[in-house]
Amino acid sequence: MKFSDLIITANHNLFRNKTRTFLTILAIFIGSFTIILSNAINTGVNDFIDKQVEGIGGDGYIEVMPKNVSDQLESIMSGDSSVREYDPNKGSLETSYITAQDLETIRAVDGVEKMNAYHMASTEYITSSKTSKNYNITVSLSPDNSLNVDMSAGRKVDADSSKKEIMLTEDYVKALGYESNEAILGQTVTLAVKQNAKCLMVANPTDCLATVDATVTGIQAPGVLSFGGGARVNLALNNALYDLAMEGMPKSTADRTYFAIGRVDPEKVEQIRTELDKLGYTITTVDDTAGMIRTFFDVILVVFNIFGGIALLAAAIGIINTLFMSVAERTREIGLMKAMGMSDRKIFTAFSLEAILLGFWGSVIGILISMLIGYGVNSLAHETFLTEFPTFQLVIFNPINMLIITGVIMLIAFIAGTAPAYRASKQNPIDSLRYE
Amino acid sequence: MEKIIEVKNLTKVYGKRSAAFTALKNINLSIEKGESVAIVGKSGSGKSTLMHLLALLDKPTKGQVEINGINSTKLRGKSLNKLRNQEFGFVFQQFFMNSNDSVLENVLLPLKIAKISRFKRKKMAMEALKTVDLEDKARNKASDLSGGQKQRVCIARAIVNNPDIIFADEPTGNLDSATGDKITDLLFKLNKEKGVTLIIVTHDEDLAKLCSRIVRISDGNIISDQTVRKDLQKKSSDRREKEAARVKKANERKGN
Repeated sequence: MKFSDLIITANHNLFRNKTRTFLTILAIFIGSFTIILSNAINTGVNDFIDKQVEGIGGDGYIEVMPKNVSDQLESIMSGDSSVREYDPNKGSLETSYITAQDLETIRAVDGVEKMNAYHMASTEYITSSKTSKNYNITVSLSPDNSLNVDMSAGRKVDADSSKKEIMLTEDYVKALGYESNEAILGQTVTLAVKQNAKCLMVANPTDCLATVDATVTGIQAPGVLSFGGGARVNLALNNALYDLAMEGMPKSTADRTYFAIGRVDPEKVEQIRTELDKLGYTITTVDDTAGMIRTFFDVILVVFNIFGGIALLAAAIGIINTLFMSVAERTREIGLMKAMGMSDRKIFTAFSLEAILLGFWGSVIGILISMLIGYGVNSLAHETFLTEFPTFQLVIFNPINMLIITGVIMLIAFIAGTAPAYRASKQNPIDSLRYE
Repeated sequence: MEKIIEVKNLTKVYGKRSAAFTALKNINLSIEKGESVAIVGKSGSGKSTLMHLLALLDKPTKGQVEINGINSTKLRGKSLNKLRNQEFGFVFQQFFMNSNDSVLENVLLPLKIAKISRFKRKKMAMEALKTVDLEDKARNKASDLSGGQKQRVCIARAIVNNPDIIFADEPTGNLDSATGDKITDLLFKLNKEKGVTLIIVTHDEDLAKLCSRIVRISDGNIISDQTVRKDLQKKSSDRREKEAARVKKANERKGN
């Protein structure tokens, strides 16, 4: 028999018993659908992260912390509760600060352009001259001018400026009493911080607040992965807020921090990473942060692929069963074909092809249904929670991925089909023809 | 005459040791091209076993089968399959058709196995169907046919590859006498007109008498091997023709 005839015959034979074939294909479909759709979502999310990372910019911007801190953070995050011996050189988390000496050491590394201690400022509220109300606000540092920020109006804060600058999100414009994004540009807002030392002395927490004035330079466009979040301030404003909060505290306490931030030569990031690693520091770049998010989604993908794999395993048993039934039903037909001179190998091929075709149809239906659902979800998402991101595709179908998945499923089906196909090929034509 | 099948010291034993059963004992037989041979015997006599060995569907325990002078017991794999595919045609009592396929698909199955092109095999299958007078049923589903029509389709399938030998295992066993006669006529017509060697396994004495030679088997031995006189053969077929005409008339009367 020619190969094309074998395929056509196999496909024809498959649909002789429609219900059984349909159920087997359905089982394969459940597995292929799970894997294809979760891969498509993963592709979509990764693509989105890539685009966002590109948008963030920040080539050459790094964050540094002592290795001791990063190790302990990691063990806390991974739930590691093992007891460790105290090492006076390492100390505990509490004693591993970035000191002035550390900064000198880091600055001395080749390729480091700028390095400063980073103190995290916290704020109580924001207000303006146009409103009598105070509003809660979180501020975060916009640490480097190379980091891109999507602006609705105005410009981003200048990290290197000595003027105290802030950029807000759109929600605060109306609250602070301004008509439009443009109206608030260049205006002064007031931020309040808690003065820690003073607060120890007073009964009422509101009695220990102090305020700082800042200039609004721009309004940020909404984003998912904007670096930080909330209102963003430049270093000058950040430090002013921090200094005010720490007023009256011992200098040694005020200077304590676990983090340093700075700029390095983008070409030398990896080299600096190794160098600082030797010196006992861990660095984090924007790409590293994106990588962590990506790892998170990859883990979810693996979980879904395992589910899909289990479904496929069950489906493989279904294939074996279907083919054994088919072989038993067609015993006489097999005997006849052998009597007519069909070789054992061709009989084996014919039944293997049936198995492979089961896998093929299961995958194709899986692809079609997941595409249908995927594109449905995409357009639904754009009408609801993704209206802000017209270019973001939640589900992306990568043709190469789908080919690989189809290939793997067909391979699994082939392997499942070998036992029944072998039995068919080894049948004695006489016994087969006598079989009633 | 040219010998088409030559059987030497053929023995077939089923099972092993204490369970061993000798189905054929040291059979010698030679069949010439164009003969029509009936292998007659009771069930269990070994007649089916002999046919299976002649048709190379089974391996003998001892002895050999020569087809066209070639020792076929030594053939393996491809050459064996090719021989079966091109030299033999099979007609079985139980038809063995793929009932869900069309008549045409059933007939061209041997050609499909022989890797003959789509166009050519369809043409050959239609010709074979014409021979059995069923060309108008080519598109029908095989399961929709009557028993006689099914057996005619099987004959078409057996002759589609222009074989030298047709093996027929109780070809009329599942048919009433009138349709059975039609099938017999067809087989002998092929034997006479195309010179196809006919080997029929049967326990039907009437059918056996139509053949040019009757080989009787009992307990794995050939107990007689007689050539039927041509005049007797003629008489038998004349009687059958008369019977067929009578049935036809009766049917026509019923129709009126």
